[in-house]
Amino acid sequence: MRKALAVVVGLIALAGVASAQTFVWPQKWTVAKPSEVKRGGTLRAAVISDYRTFNPFITAEAGNVPEIISGARGLVMRDPTTGDWIPYMAESWTVSPNKLEITFKIRRGMKWSDGKPITADDWIMTWRIHTDKAVGSNSYDSFFIDGKPITLRKIDDYTIRFIYPKTDAEAFAVASFEPWPAHIFGPVYQKDGAEGIKKMWTLNEKPENIVSGGPWLIESYRPGERLVLKRNPVFGEWNKDEAGNPLPYLDRYEIKIVKDTNAQLAEFLAGNIDLMAPATVDHISQIRQAIQQGRLDATIKVNASPVASSQFMVFNWNKASDPFKQNLFRSDKFRRAMSHIVNRQAVIDIVYGGLGTPMYTSVYPVLTQWVNPKVPKYEYNLQEAAKLLAELGFTRKDREGYLVDSRGRRLEFNLATNAGNAQREQIAKLIVDEAKKVGVKVNFTAIDFNTLVGQLLSSGPDRPFDAIIIGLSGGGLDWPFGSNVVPCKGNLHMWNKSGQCIDPRETQLDALYSRGRTELDFKKRVEIGYRMQEIEVQLLPVIYIAGPNYHPAWNNRLGGEHPEAIISSIWGQRELELTFIKK
Amino acid sequence: MTAYILRRILYLIPTFFGATFLAFLIIQLAPGDYLTQLELDPKVTPETIARLRAQFGLDRPIYEQYLLWMDNLLHLNLGYSFAYQAPVLEVIWPRVVNSMVIVIPSTLLLYLVAIPIGVYGAVRQYSLGDRILSFLAYIGLSVPSFFLALIAIYVLLQIKFRTGTLIFPVSGMTSSGFEQMPPLRQILDIAWHAVVPVLVATANDIAGLSRLMRGQMLEVLSQDYIRTARAKGLAERVVLYKHAFRNAVIPFVATLGGLLPSLISGAGFVEVVMAWPGITPFFLDAIANQDLYLKTCTSRIPCMNTPFPPQAEAKDPKLPARP
Repeated sequence: MRKALAVVVGLIALAGVASAQTFVWPQKWTVAKPSEVKRGGTLRAAVISDYRTFNPFITAEAGNVPEIISGARGLVMRDPTTGDWIPYMAESWTVSPNKLEITFKIRRGMKWSDGKPITADDWIMTWRIHTDKAVGSNSYDSFFIDGKPITLRKIDDYTIRFIYPKTDAEAFAVASFEPWPAHIFGPVYQKDGAEGIKKMWTLNEKPENIVSGGPWLIESYRPGERLVLKRNPVFGEWNKDEAGNPLPYLDRYEIKIVKDTNAQLAEFLAGNIDLMAPATVDHISQIRQAIQQGRLDATIKVNASPVASSQFMVFNWNKASDPFKQNLFRSDKFRRAMSHIVNRQAVIDIVYGGLGTPMYTSVYPVLTQWVNPKVPKYEYNLQEAAKLLAELGFTRKDREGYLVDSRGRRLEFNLATNAGNAQREQIAKLIVDEAKKVGVKVNFTAIDFNTLVGQLLSSGPDRPFDAIIIGLSGGGLDWPFGSNVVPCKGNLHMWNKSGQCIDPRETQLDALYSRGRTELDFKKRVEIGYRMQEIEVQLLPVIYIAGPNYHPAWNNRLGGEHPEAIISSIWGQRELELTFIKK
Repeated sequence: MTAYILRRILYLIPTFFGATFLAFLIIQLAPGDYLTQLELDPKVTPETIARLRAQFGLDRPIYEQYLLWMDNLLHLNLGYSFAYQAPVLEVIWPRVVNSMVIVIPSTLLLYLVAIPIGVYGAVRQYSLGDRILSFLAYIGLSVPSFFLALIAIYVLLQIKFRTGTLIFPVSGMTSSGFEQMPPLRQILDIAWHAVVPVLVATANDIAGLSRLMRGQMLEVLSQDYIRTARAKGLAERVVLYKHAFRNAVIPFVATLGGLLPSLISGAGFVEVVMAWPGITPFFLDAIANQDLYLKTCTSRIPCMNTPFPPQAEAKDPKLPARP
C-alpha cells in the first residue's frame, strides 16, 4: 500500500515537472460556471466571404484562417473585462528603465500541434518573415514606428526581447502578434526565401500539414462551402478553465460560407447556424419575431454597443483652381455650420432604423474610456447654421432660394460617396435636404468606390473633389488615433493633402499625436486624447455623422457567452474557448 | 466538313486575341486596382502599397501587362490571383465543377420541359392548356432568378416552421459531416442540395425556350410539305414528330454550341443567394476586389464558342456554310 502511494506521489511530482505552465481562463469572462459546462459538440457559424489562403504571411482579409486557428493571440492578450494587457504565451515581462525594451519570459511547455515545443525561435522567425518586403505581409507596417524598425532578439529559448526605436503606446499590441512554427517555415525561408514562403499553405495544402499553436486544427475545407475545424488537443495541455478542464470545450467549429446575408439569416432562423450579427433592422425584427413566436430558441442583444467604425463628411482644403470654395472649405465656421445641418438623429432613425449612435469626434463611441464627454457637440441646429453662414457673408438668397455672398457667388458644393453603399447614399440625401433648408445647394453624386478613393487620396494644391462621405475602421484601445490620419503628412490626412499643416490646430494635433503615441502612462495618454478631441471639435477637419450598432444573436444551444456588461463590438459575444454546447 | 471546322478554328485565333485584349482593356479602364481597398486602411503606409503594386506588376503599362498575361497563357498558365496568391486555374476549377452540378441537370431539365411545352402549345394553339402553360412560363420569365431563390428559401423556412422539418436545404451544397459520409451518401447529399437551385435556375429559361419552340413548330406546321404529308394521309403523329418536329428543332441544335460557355460560366445569382459554391459568387468577388487575372479569365470563355456552331450546318444542308 505504502509502495503504491509512493508511486502515485512520484507520478504526481513527475507530472508537475513535465506539465505545461498553464494559462487559466478566468471565470469572470463567461456567464457559465465550470461545473455546468459540457464537453464535445460542434459550434456552427457562417461568414460572408470565402477564405483565400491558410498562409499566415500572405493572408489579407479580416477573420482569416490563420487568425482563427491560432486564436489570434501571442505573448500577451487583453483581458476583456478590463481591457488591460495580460501575459498569455508569455509568463511574465520586464520593461527596461528607458522603456525602449520589453523582455518576455515565454511560458514553458507550450507545443505546436505536431508536438514540437513553442520557443523564442518561433517569434523570431515569424517576425523575420513578416518584415521581409518581398513576402508582402499585411503585418509589415505594424513592425515599424515612424519608418524605424522594431527589432526582436532571442535571449535564450524561453526569453525574447522586443527593442523599440522610441517609446510606444502600442508596444504590447505589437508584441501580441501570433507566432508560427519556425521548424516548418524556417527551412523553406532559408532555402527559397520569400518566394518559397508565398507558395506554402495554399488552400490546396493538406489540412494535416497545417500546424497550429492555437485552439483549432483544420479538419477539412471545401472552397466556397465550409471550413471545419477540430479541437487542438495539445492546446488543452496549457489552456484550462478554473476547474482545471482543458480548453476548448468544443470538439468542432464549423464555418459555413454564405455569401448572401438573407441566406445567412435563413440558416440562423432554421437553426442551422448558431451565431449571427444581423446588421439591418429587418433582419433583427425577423429574428425577434421568430423568438417571440417560439419558432427559434435563441437570444438577441439589440444595441449591445456601437460598432468600431466611423462615417463622416470631409471637405477638400486643396482647391487652388477655385479660391472661393477653397476659402470656404478651410473656414472652421463653414464646417461648423455644416455640422449643424447634419441631422444625426434622422440618420439614425432613417438609415439605421433607430439602431445607431451619433458621432462627434474621431474616437469611436464604443471606446468609452477614450471618449471625452466634455467636448462641445455641434448638433443639428439650422438657425445656428444660418447664423454662422451669415457671419461668413452669406446673407442674401437668389431667386432659387440659395444663399449668395455680396459678390453674388452662390453657396454650392458637390458631395460624393461610393455607389452601392445604400446607407451612405441615404445619409448624403438627408444632408442635401437639410442643406437646402438653410439655402446651401449640395449636388450629390454616387460614384465608383475606387474613383472616390482616388480623389480622396490625391495630393497636391488642387484636388478633384469638394466633399466626400466615407468611413474608416481600425483604431484601437491603446491609442485610438490613426497614424496615417492625424499627422499632416499622413496618407489619410484627407482634408488637407498639401503635405504640410495649414491650420495651427493641425500642427497642434500632429504634435499631440506624437506625444500620445509615445506616452506609456495610460492615464496621461487618455488626457492627451481628451485634449486632441477638444481641438478636433474646434477644427472639425471632418464632420462625423453616426454609425450603426452591434446586435449579436446566438442559438440557445450555446453556453458560455460573455457577461452582459462586456458584450460589445470590441469584445464580441463570447470566447470560443469557453463556449460549450448545452443541448 | 473538315475544311469547314479547320476554318472555324483559324477564325478563333483573331477572335481570341481581339476579345481578350478588349476585355483586358475594359477591365483596366475601371478606376483603381486590387490595392485600392487597402489604401483606406489607416495601418498601411503608401510605401507598402506602392511596393505591393510593383510586386503584382500593376504599375506597368496595360499592353505590357497584357503581353505578360498572354505569354503566361501560351504556357498554359492562366495567371495569378492576387487575393488567393495562387494560380487562377487552381482556384477556379473546383468552382467550375460545382457550377456544373447545377447547370447540367438544369439544362437537361430545361430541354425536357420547354420543348414538349412548345410543341404542345403549337399543336393545341390557344387551347386552355396552352394558355395556362404560357402564363406559368411567363411568370417564370418575369421573376428574376435571385428573387425566385429568395422565395424558395422563404417557402422552405415556412414549411420548416410549420412541420419542423426542412424538406430541402436552405443553402449550400453539402451537409455538415459530409466528409465522413460514404461515397453514395455524398452523391445523394449533393443531389438533395441541388434540387431547389436546379429548379430555380431552370424556371427562368423555360418561357423563352418554350415560346421559341412553339413559334418554330407553328412555322413549320404551316409549310406546304406538312400539308402535303397530311394530304398523303400520313398519321398525325408521324406528321408531327417525323416531319414537323425534326425541322422545328434545328435552331435548338444550333444553340448547343453555346452550352459550353454557359456550363463554365455558372448558374448566376441563384448560386449567390443559395450559397452554392459555384463560379458566380467567385467572379463577383473577383470583380469587387479587382482581382485582374481572375476577372479576365471569364472573358476568354465566350471565345471558346467559336468553333462549335458547325452542328447546325451539319444537320441541315439547306443552311449555307457561312464564309
